[in-house]
Amino acid sequence: MIQLFNVGKIYQNGAPALHDVSLKIPSGDFVYVTGSSGAGKSTLLRLLYCAEKPSRGQILMGERNTTRLKSHNIALLRRDIGFVFQDFKLLNSRTVFENVALPLQVQAASRQEISTRVYQVLQYVGLEYKLQRKPLELSGGEQQRVAIARAMVVNPRLLLADEPTGNLDHDLAVEIMEMFNRINESGTTVIIATHDKEMLQRFPRRTIVLHDGNIVSDSAPAEIAASEEGL
Amino acid sequence: MERLRYFTQRTLFSMRQSPLLCSATIGTVAIALMLLAFFTLIVLNIQNLTREWSQDIQVIVYLDNVPSDDKLQQWRDEIQQYPDIEQVRYISQQQAFDRFHKRLGQNADLLEGLMPEILPAALEISLKEIARSREGTERLIELLKNNKDFHNFRYGQEWLDRYDAFIFLLRLTGTMAGGFLIFATLFIVSNTIKLTIYARRDELEIMGLIGATPMFIKAPFMAEGACQGVAGALLALGGCHVLYYFFLKKGLAALLTTTAAENIHFLPIEYQAGIIVLGLLLGFIGSLLPLRKFVRI
Repeated sequence: MIQLFNVGKIYQNGAPALHDVSLKIPSGDFVYVTGSSGAGKSTLLRLLYCAEKPSRGQILMGERNTTRLKSHNIALLRRDIGFVFQDFKLLNSRTVFENVALPLQVQAASRQEISTRVYQVLQYVGLEYKLQRKPLELSGGEQQRVAIARAMVVNPRLLLADEPTGNLDHDLAVEIMEMFNRINESGTTVIIATHDKEMLQRFPRRTIVLHDGNIVSDSAPAEIAASEEGL
Repeated sequence: MERLRYFTQRTLFSMRQSPLLCSATIGTVAIALMLLAFFTLIVLNIQNLTREWSQDIQVIVYLDNVPSDDKLQQWRDEIQQYPDIEQVRYISQQQAFDRFHKRLGQNADLLEGLMPEILPAALEISLKEIARSREGTERLIELLKNNKDFHNFRYGQEWLDRYDAFIFLLRLTGTMAGGFLIFATLFIVSNTIKLTIYARRDELEIMGLIGATPMFIKAPFMAEGACQGVAGALLALGGCHVLYYFFLKKGLAALLTTTAAENIHFLPIEYQAGIIVLGLLLGFIGSLLPLRKFVRI
């Protein structure tokens, strides 16, 4: 369970990004965070993975209050979180295998475990035959699948994705979204920041809409469908 | 064990991956340490030379009368008990006359018809190296004055003042220039390593995102810096050795007006080890400083 209590964020330059945000995300949920550019979607995600500290309020992840964590404990917390970004954030000098193996190496997994787990997860995203390729030799969709494989290799409890389909064409975006759905079905909580309305309609889930750093709506799929019918 | 293997692999891989940046760092360390090694070499040789000069520092007590053997032995025993005494030598009137005769060389005939008794017998007291200074000699003279038989002393006051001033200047210059060189080296090395870390800032960010602790992220970079530091230090010593044999040995001998180039020595083994340790520390600290800025979780 992720809980935010009256969370506000003002950046050092004085720019306010979030105001008094409170919400609860139960384990195993699938949530979209949407809104126009500058609404605070990425800031919300950054607060969740402790890249930023809130200016006010508290964030609880499970039983841990993340606003009070030190660097070492933030690192340990992130081992339970998978990340997927619009720009993939892969290491271009390393092979697909090495990129996906990285989180396991950080956790000091054995070589045997790394080989087995990396192969399994690459099979899961359909890239097991491109183990030794470098990211720049792959298409955008394949690179995003490598990023998903890297996020999934440690069986995270939470998957955060920031505009994961932003750089992909329609068919690839659908493929990636289907992959997120499958991941969620296996019990992982998925939070996706996106402004891709087509994907929101095609794969309806709980949707939190942000505007100027405030939550303007937080609706379940049925409510969204009803409101669309009403329109 | 897995971590150690990972760190070793990452360190070696990173150096192989960016040969240009790696060479730049090693080259910077090598040049900076070669300057330092050169400077140390010169200072040490000057110090060695002044140590030879300082052997001439002694206190001469001119004696009014020729002492009996018993009296002489009593004085010797008394003086040997003073601190920092290296040797007490008795110079008889005959020995003093012979020495004077020899020093006059071609003009020795000036002494014709004169007897050795015109010169006083003397005690030549040399000090241990640690006490070869104006302070040391004055302390000794104060002690010698306790003996009523000793009242005529010579110890080359003017020469001692100059010697003390020179040693002070040498030490001051050595400390200041050495300290400055070390800081300049650290600054240059740190900035060069900062460039290599900046080129890999994406890697640092990604490592942080996937749950690497700050130490896990920093360790391969620090190990890389230390390896490059040691490699640079070895290169510096090698280069310094070559230059020493081909240029510096003769050049220094001429500069220090030492006739024999054999009196000019390369850095002692402990100094060479010190340069290698310094290279290691420079690489290590040079990596640590920029990492503190770039690795933020």
